[in-house]
Amino acid sequence: MFTLKVAFRNISRQKKRSFLLAGAIAFGMLVITVINALTGGLVENIRDNFAHALGGHVFITGREFNERGQIISKIRPDERLDQLLAENASRIEAFTKRSQALPSLIFGSKQTMHLVYGVDFHEEDKLLASLVVTQGSLDPVLTLENAAILPLPAAERLGVEVGETILVRLETLTGQHNVGELLVVALVEDQEQFGLSAAYVSRAYLNGLLGLDPEEYQMLNMFLTDLGLVDEFTRTFREGLVKPGEEPDEDEPELTVSVGGVPLDPAQQQRRVSRWEGTRYRVMNINQIMEPVELAVGVLNRVGLVIFIILLLVTMVGITNTFRMILIERTKEIGTMRAFGMHRSQVQRIFLWEAVLLGLVGCAAGLALAGLLILVVGHWPLNVEPALQFFLNQGRITFRLSLGGVLLNMFLVVLTSLVAAYWPARAAARLSPIKALSSNF
Amino acid sequence: MKREALVITAVLLLLAVVPAVQAEDLSKMRAILEKIDAQSRFDGVDFSALLTMIVEDPEEGIEKLVVRQFRRDDGERYLLLIQEPVTQRGQGYLLEGDNLWFYDPSSRQFAHTSLKETFQDSDVRNADFGSSSYASSYEIEGYGEDVLGSFETYIMDLKAVDDTVPFPYARIWVTKDTNLVLKAEEYSLTRRLMRSALFPKYAKVGEAIIPVQMIFVDELVEGKKTQVTLSEISTAKIPDHVFTKAYLERVNR
Repeated sequence: MFTLKVAFRNISRQKKRSFLLAGAIAFGMLVITVINALTGGLVENIRDNFAHALGGHVFITGREFNERGQIISKIRPDERLDQLLAENASRIEAFTKRSQALPSLIFGSKQTMHLVYGVDFHEEDKLLASLVVTQGSLDPVLTLENAAILPLPAAERLGVEVGETILVRLETLTGQHNVGELLVVALVEDQEQFGLSAAYVSRAYLNGLLGLDPEEYQMLNMFLTDLGLVDEFTRTFREGLVKPGEEPDEDEPELTVSVGGVPLDPAQQQRRVSRWEGTRYRVMNINQIMEPVELAVGVLNRVGLVIFIILLLVTMVGITNTFRMILIERTKEIGTMRAFGMHRSQVQRIFLWEAVLLGLVGCAAGLALAGLLILVVGHWPLNVEPALQFFLNQGRITFRLSLGGVLLNMFLVVLTSLVAAYWPARAAARLSPIKALSSNF
Repeated sequence: MKREALVITAVLLLLAVVPAVQAEDLSKMRAILEKIDAQSRFDGVDFSALLTMIVEDPEEGIEKLVVRQFRRDDGERYLLLIQEPVTQRGQGYLLEGDNLWFYDPSSRQFAHTSLKETFQDSDVRNADFGSSSYASSYEIEGYGEDVLGSFETYIMDLKAVDDTVPFPYARIWVTKDTNLVLKAEEYSLTRRLMRSALFPKYAKVGEAIIPVQMIFVDELVEGKKTQVTLSEISTAKIPDHVFTKAYLERVNR
């Protein structure tokens, strides 16, 4: 305790020098903290935005052969699936059963291809709550069978307004042409401005156009209570949905999540498949989509760590030199303390405590500065391209820090400070009291 | 009493005779469908022509496409080679039975496509370049008579035999004397008119009779239509190698 007090006093004595040393450490800490927080926020935003755009964390699709040997995408009411949903209800925050299509929307002489989700509006109150209505009202979707919610850009492209009827041209699951009429009841902002905008219609109506029964659907999307459970949860469903005696389709199916029938993974190979009976399920999760993102972010984090280490090494050299100077400056003082009975280890501890305190003060200052920067930048709404909105949270950069990451960085700072101060401290401890007292410094 | 008996007898006779007459007419209509299909085929000979397409799109404007067609109905093959516009020159389609390939010389890649797809954003479908298959694809739901311009026609309401036929419902106007389809309307599963096709000019080419002018009208998008005109028609023998992927690749070099 005594050595800590002396170390603290020594630091306070040389305020300017201590400020510069701690400042260098603080700058390194600021850089690594901001990079880590930024990448953490990016990953979380991308995951959230993907989950939001795709409608969940875990996705189940079903495929079956029809009488003519065509593979069609649909999920029929299935006891196995219902049972799994019931068994895992505590881990599921919400789930949605949707159909989807990428039809041509036509109004007069204008047409546009647009993703359309068929949703059960009575069950998707979360979706309705998340939509920002710019014109019209969402209420009619609960009563009108062919009511449609259109994103604003699509409506502008078609020149349609609320209350007008548009045509929807698509193909049934077996490839027959079909046309429906949609009554536009509401225009909404592009959802979260992700660039992945979708129109919403009643699932029963879209099913009718696609050739599905009203109770059938194409995608079961689940939001989980804990994102950490995603992989285990996926495995449970993957194993639970394989029929007895049926070989799993693939242990780890390739990423084939599609939006409106357009696969997000373009490199799909055509391969021959032998016919099977009943529905074959494919269970995918958000982590599979996030893998490439996390890899990229991992690289960014590693680059940040390298910068941090370089900054620490530079600071380390500074600390070593400063402590050498301190050693020279305090030679007589050390001699006096040693003459009054201070042990060598105590002298060494004073130097080391000084390094630790400098490191901790630098860390605290760096964290405080990072916090301030994060607060300012995070508060600033950015008006960027829709595609870039995927990295943001409601138009803002968000930062996420893990306690483990902060503690690790602090540990590295303190460790490098200790290593940097070790040799000057050892040299100070080894000073002979007589020689020290007789020195000219 | 006598009078009532007479009326009842007449009604019963009518009820007995009408279905028989209808059945006879129905088989006659089926025979007409078969004739339409038969006379659209080039059995034993090859066919080639230059197709000029004028695509009118209210948003894109007017575009002209010139396409060379080679067709061999034995084996259900055709090859379409785009010659105009210059930007699309060399793109081609190769039909081999059920497989239709699209070739793009800029990427030197073949992509699988479908007979149901539209040709180059026009109102023509890839299936329109082959022979018709009304008899095998549709059953007759109803029929009647109509006058189209100066032509006496049969009008037939058709329903697809299964859900693999792209247009689930169709209505055609067929000349009574020559069995030529003058007009066809194609309907969606919800029975909404999607496309009208008019065939104002026909030509006898070998044993086949084919439309040499066709107008396809998109009935959903206002003002969108495509006119196709055939010229340089020939039934000369086409070398086998023309109906190959290698030819499509080579012809662009």
